[in-house]
Amino acid sequence: MGLIIVVAFYGWSLLEGVLQFAGMVLHMSSLGWVLLPSDPFKISLNQALLGPSPAHLMGTDDLGRDIWSRILYAAPVDAGVSVLVIGGGLLVGSLVGLPAGYFGGLTEEVSMRSTDLFLAFPALILALVIESTLGREAVYAVLALVVVWWPSYARLFRGETLRVKSMKFIDAARLSDLSGLEIIRRHIVRSTFNTIVSYATIDLGSSILVYSVLSFLGLGIPPPAPEWGSMVSFGLEYFPQSWWYSLLPGIVITIVVIGTALLGDGLRDVIAGEQ
Amino acid sequence: MGLVGYIIRRALYSILLVILSVLLVFFLTHFLAPDPAAVWAGPHAAKSVVQAIVSEYHFNDPLYVQAYYFVTGALTFNFGISPYFKQPVSSLIATYFPRTLELTFFAMVISVLVGVFTGAFAAAHRNKKGDYSVRLFYLIGWCAPPFLISLILQLVFSYKLNYFPTSLLADPALATPRFVTGFPLIDGLLAGDFPYVESHLIHMALPVIALTFISFGLITRIMRSSMLESLKADYVRTAVMKGVGTRRAVYLHALKNSLIPVITVIALTFAYLIAGAVVVEFVFGYEGMGYLITTALYNYDYPTLVGCTMVITISVVSINLVADVMYALVDPRVRLGG
Repeated sequence: MGLIIVVAFYGWSLLEGVLQFAGMVLHMSSLGWVLLPSDPFKISLNQALLGPSPAHLMGTDDLGRDIWSRILYAAPVDAGVSVLVIGGGLLVGSLVGLPAGYFGGLTEEVSMRSTDLFLAFPALILALVIESTLGREAVYAVLALVVVWWPSYARLFRGETLRVKSMKFIDAARLSDLSGLEIIRRHIVRSTFNTIVSYATIDLGSSILVYSVLSFLGLGIPPPAPEWGSMVSFGLEYFPQSWWYSLLPGIVITIVVIGTALLGDGLRDVIAGEQ
Repeated sequence: MGLVGYIIRRALYSILLVILSVLLVFFLTHFLAPDPAAVWAGPHAAKSVVQAIVSEYHFNDPLYVQAYYFVTGALTFNFGISPYFKQPVSSLIATYFPRTLELTFFAMVISVLVGVFTGAFAAAHRNKKGDYSVRLFYLIGWCAPPFLISLILQLVFSYKLNYFPTSLLADPALATPRFVTGFPLIDGLLAGDFPYVESHLIHMALPVIALTFISFGLITRIMRSSMLESLKADYVRTAVMKGVGTRRAVYLHALKNSLIPVITVIALTFAYLIAGAVVVEFVFGYEGMGYLITTALYNYDYPTLVGCTMVITISVVSINLVADVMYALVDPRVRLGG
């Protein structure tokens, strides 16, 4: 079940993202909405705030734009953010956590204490401060989220490395005169991969959640570009009469996040079964 | 090592952590910021004001001097003046933070209760319908954005059914009780102002429900896996063999021991609740810390944001410390040097 949602979401985002990017490069912006039911930027004030109907599956917003089209158009943003954030978090986390687990000693102490430091801040709060300092753009949102996310992965990598370190094939590798870094690269990364993958999948969803809150608070991509979180906050003015404006993007977010959670859980069960 | 030694060690470490986190925030705000004085003064400040800020907060001094002032300021809860509210940040926090603490307190208590019982229930009905329905329930709570849950609650209970009010701390027609502790509930009770207390409780209900719904899943998960572990243990099988009915064995013996890992999650839940409160308070118009943070954010009120961050971080670290100590009290293996 989760697999279907995740594949649908990321597959669509990839397709749409490519179209939008190509459109931008070729100066043919309409390329971005060729697959959508309606033009997500077309303003028609006499169609404003209509409820869901066959013509507009999720109704229209205050400027008469079709909400479902805007949701579809904004999907690549969240998909991209989640991939960048988790990718970045994995990268930094592995660079810190793998050596920490393998070499131990001072490396481990320093690494783990710094993760403690970053984990002392609630994720959202730290992200808010970082973005307020650097600037309220999506780029800094991604950066802020990577800063928030890497400590958990550092811990995870270290834990997994410790677990794998005691296994026989590592001793064999050491005897065969491979340098520590080589061993990490070849063997440990591969063994820790399985567990990390299931966490990363769930985290893809969590990063979308946090990013949607950031964009709800105005720290994402500025209007008129659609974005799920900011659509909810714009809809607040018209709540509860035009409830679809705020609620439906939120429900879409929930579905995507549930999809990743189910997939991650499923992956974890499969992996646990194999071990 | 002993219990006292453990507590001292953890307390010292927590203090170090607080100082380091203040330094981290300092690094962010003074080093990374493109123009710290301008950011600190707020977007509408005149040139002269910015100059005053520069000298007041020592922005022209070497970095370590700035750090010294910043850290000592933070530790004495002096976070500067808010350009938007025109008040010292610390007095703003003193006003708004207790209100959020009330919400988080109730939300945490209810989350733990709900989490423990649903977790035990799910464990007992493992892989059957009961288990799956519990999982679905907390999955929705966990995966839905906090603003969605708050909005739906508001829509259903406030607007459609008219049971609960939609915003504010209490009926605005009622006078606020005299400020003693800053906690509206306590102040209200101390003043014997029961209409206020009642109104406040009603206004707290929906935000607390929203926060609980978001966070109980964490506890359910831990409780469930911890129960499953305990159920396999020998002493449970002994109890079953001795003739204690299987039901009782589950709910009594396994339950008590399963509670231990829940303590470790409580600290995590608190951090998560504070973050969730930012959004929930905004949607419900509940004037607490979350409201302060979002207002500061919208109005580019940087000192308030920084002050709030530090107070929140200090609270999270303290709760972590308390949880660690409780864990050591409950599980002797921890303090004996493991």
